[in-house]
Amino acid sequence: MAIKLSRRDFLKSGALTLMGTLGAAALGHFTQSAAGASPQPMSHAGQTGHTGRDPMAMAVGEVDHERNGFNPTDILTDFDYGAVSTLPSGQTLREYQWIAANKTIEVVPGIEFPAWTYNGRIPGPTLRCTEGDRIRVNFTNGSDHPHTVHFHGVHPAEMDGVPGEGPGLIQPGESFSYEFDADPFGVHLYHCHASPLARHIAKGLYGAFIVDPKEGRPKVDHEFVMVMNGLDVDFDDVNDFYAVNGIPFHYQNHPIPIRVGETVRIYLINILEFDLINSFHLHANFFHYYPTGTSLTPSEYTDTVMQTQAQRGILEFSYKHPGRYMFHAHNTEFAELGWTGHFEVSL
Amino acid sequence: MSEQIIPQPKVKAKSITLSTAVLLILPLIVLGGVIALFLSTGGGLKLTSPIPVEALTVERTILKPGSVDLIIRNAGPEDLTIAQVVINDAVWPMTVSPAQTIPRLRSATVHLDYPWAEGEAYGITIFTTNAIAFAADIPAAVATPQPTGRTFWSFTLIGLYVGVIPIYLGLFWFPALRQLGRRWMTFLLAITAGLLVFLGIDTLTEALEQAQLVPGPIQGIGLVGIGAVATFFLLDAISKRRTTIGKSEASQRLSLAYMIATGIGLHNLGEGLAIGAAFNVGEISLGAFLVVGFILQNITEGLGIIAPVLRDRPGIRQLALMGLVGGGPAILGAWIGGFVPSATLAVVFLAVGTGAVFEVVYEIAKLLHKDTTREPMPLTVFSGIVAGMMLLWVTGLMIK
Repeated sequence: MAIKLSRRDFLKSGALTLMGTLGAAALGHFTQSAAGASPQPMSHAGQTGHTGRDPMAMAVGEVDHERNGFNPTDILTDFDYGAVSTLPSGQTLREYQWIAANKTIEVVPGIEFPAWTYNGRIPGPTLRCTEGDRIRVNFTNGSDHPHTVHFHGVHPAEMDGVPGEGPGLIQPGESFSYEFDADPFGVHLYHCHASPLARHIAKGLYGAFIVDPKEGRPKVDHEFVMVMNGLDVDFDDVNDFYAVNGIPFHYQNHPIPIRVGETVRIYLINILEFDLINSFHLHANFFHYYPTGTSLTPSEYTDTVMQTQAQRGILEFSYKHPGRYMFHAHNTEFAELGWTGHFEVSL
Repeated sequence: MSEQIIPQPKVKAKSITLSTAVLLILPLIVLGGVIALFLSTGGGLKLTSPIPVEALTVERTILKPGSVDLIIRNAGPEDLTIAQVVINDAVWPMTVSPAQTIPRLRSATVHLDYPWAEGEAYGITIFTTNAIAFAADIPAAVATPQPTGRTFWSFTLIGLYVGVIPIYLGLFWFPALRQLGRRWMTFLLAITAGLLVFLGIDTLTEALEQAQLVPGPIQGIGLVGIGAVATFFLLDAISKRRTTIGKSEASQRLSLAYMIATGIGLHNLGEGLAIGAAFNVGEISLGAFLVVGFILQNITEGLGIIAPVLRDRPGIRQLALMGLVGGGPAILGAWIGGFVPSATLAVVFLAVGTGAVFEVVYEIAKLLHKDTTREPMPLTVFSGIVAGMMLLWVTGLMIK
C-alpha cells in the first residue's frame, strides 16, 4: 500500500523520530523471541524437500507435465534424428514433420501461458544430425498467426525462413519444406523469424539444432541439451521467469542424476529474449568450453560462461566428488527467478 | 438570519390505501420480471469477457523477523487464484490462507518466510493463475509494531505530541487574548476560519488520495462524498437545534468552541491515522526538528478553538475538555493507523473530518456575520482569513 501524504509528510516524519526508538525496541524484542522459537520448516511450500530448512527461491507447486505434453527431464536427452533414408546420391536424408500450434502451457505452477509452439513443446524438438546430411523439415503452420522456421547454419536464401525470402511467411494452414545440407558442425538453433520477432521468440518458437562432426565427438557418458529461455507471462516485454528447457526451477525440483567420474557433455543454447545476456555457472567444478561447438579443441577451462541471445556452445566436465551441485545463471536475478538446477552426483 | 415564513396550505396526511400499495409495488414486480428475463436470455448481448478481469488490493504488509505477510483483497468481479509470488526478483515459497483461491471481495493472507533486512526496500509481485501481476512495495522494511503495552504507549505518546500538547499550548493564550478588544477578537475568529479552510482542503485532498487505494467496488470517492456531506448536515442539524432551543449567546459561542474542537479533533484523528499507517509501512525519515515544527503548526489549532469564547469566562475544566476533544483523537488515530491500518477506514475518517471542518467554518461564518452586522469591518475579516490560511501554509513551507 503506497501511502501518499501531503501536509502529513512532515507530521509523520516528526512522529517517526519517536517511532524510530519504538521500532528498534520492537525489533529487538522480536529478535529475542524468534531466537527462542525453532525456525519454521519450509516443507509447507511443496517441492522443497531437498532444500531442507534453508530459505531459498523456489516456485510453489509443480506444473502438470502430462497436460503440458512434455517434461524438461525428457527434453534433456530427447534428440530427434528424424526419419532417415538415403538419397540416390548416397547422401543421408533426415526428414521431420513439424507443426506450429497455439498451446496453453502451464509454464510456472498455476500460471498458464498462451504459448506458440513447434510440435507442442517449449523448446521445440532438438533436431540432431551429422555434418553433410540432407535436412528436410516439412513445416505446417497450424496456428492462427503466420510463422517461419529460421535455422542458424549455412543454407540458401530461400531456405532462411525470413519474411520476403523464398516462401516468406508461412500463413495459417499452409505448409513448406525447409531443405538444406547440415553445415557446419556444431551446436546451433532455430527459431521463428516472423515479425514482431521478439514476441514470436518469447512466446516459445525456438529449439536446438545439433550438427555432429562426420567423425563424431569423443564418446561421453551423458549428453544433455539445455536451451536457456525466459517467460514474459504478462506481455510487458520484461521476463517474469527464467528457465532452462522451458519450465523454471525444474532441475531444482528434479536434479539430474549422474555418477562420480562420468563424463558429461552439455549442448548449451541461449534464446533469452528481452535481456541482453545469459550465463551458465557450474558449482564446485570446471568445464571445457567449445564456443558454438565448431571446433573439437576447447577454447577455455572455466566454471562460468556468458552468452548473448543465439550464442551457444558445448560444455564438457565430470564430477570428482559425490553430492548435490547447483548449476544456474550467474545473473543471480535469473537464477532466483527460475534458472537454477542441480546435478545429483552419486558414487 | 431572518427568513420569512410563507404560510403553506396544509396537506392532509393520507393513510396508504391498498390500491396505493399495489401501485407502489407494481413497478418493482415488472423490474423483477425484466431482470429475470435478462439473466435467463442475456438480453441479446455477449456477456462473457474473453480476457480475465482481475483486481487485487494489497491492504496491509506485516513484517516480522524472517517473515512477510501480505493482507490482500480480491477487488475484481470474479474469484481469483494466487499462483506465485516474486519478492525482489526471486520466486519465493509462500502460503495463502485460508486458500489460494480468493472469492470476490474477500481477503486472504500471503505468508512468506523471507529473510528481509531492516531499512531496505522490497518489491513484491503477486501472480494470479491468469498471469496477471499485482505489485506491492515496502519502501523501507521495519518490523510491524504489534499491539503490546510498549507499542501502545508509544503510539499514545505520538498522539500526545501530534494532537494534545500543541492544542493545550495554544489554549495557554487564553488569558492574554481575553484582554483584546472586539475587533481583535473578530480578527482571531477570522484567522480560525482561515485555518479551518486550509485544514478542510487538506483533509479532503487526503481523503481523495486515500480513496484511490480503496478496492474498486468499495467506491472510495463515493465514501468521501457520503462521509463529508452527512457529517456536514448532521452537525448543521445539531447546531440549528441548539439555536432554536434558545440558549444565551454566550452558551451558543461555547458550543461553537466545542464544535471547532470536534472538527479539529476529527482532523487530528485523520492525522494520527496517517502517522500510524506511515510507520506501519516503514516510511521513516528522522529529524527531531520536524517534531518541533509540527508542534508549531498545530499550536494554531488550539488558538482556533478558544477564539469564539474569548469574551466569555469558560472554566479551566471547559478549556481542558476542549483541548481533549481537539487533540485526543490523534491518539486514537495513531492506534488505529498503527495496528489496523485500512485505506477504507482512513477514507471514512478523513471524509468525516472534511465535513466537520467545513461545517465549523460555516458556523464561524455565521458568527462573523453577526459580528460584522453590528460593526462593519470587512478588511478585518479578509485579513484574518488570509492570515489563517497563510499561517498554515508558511509553517508547512518551513518544515516540508
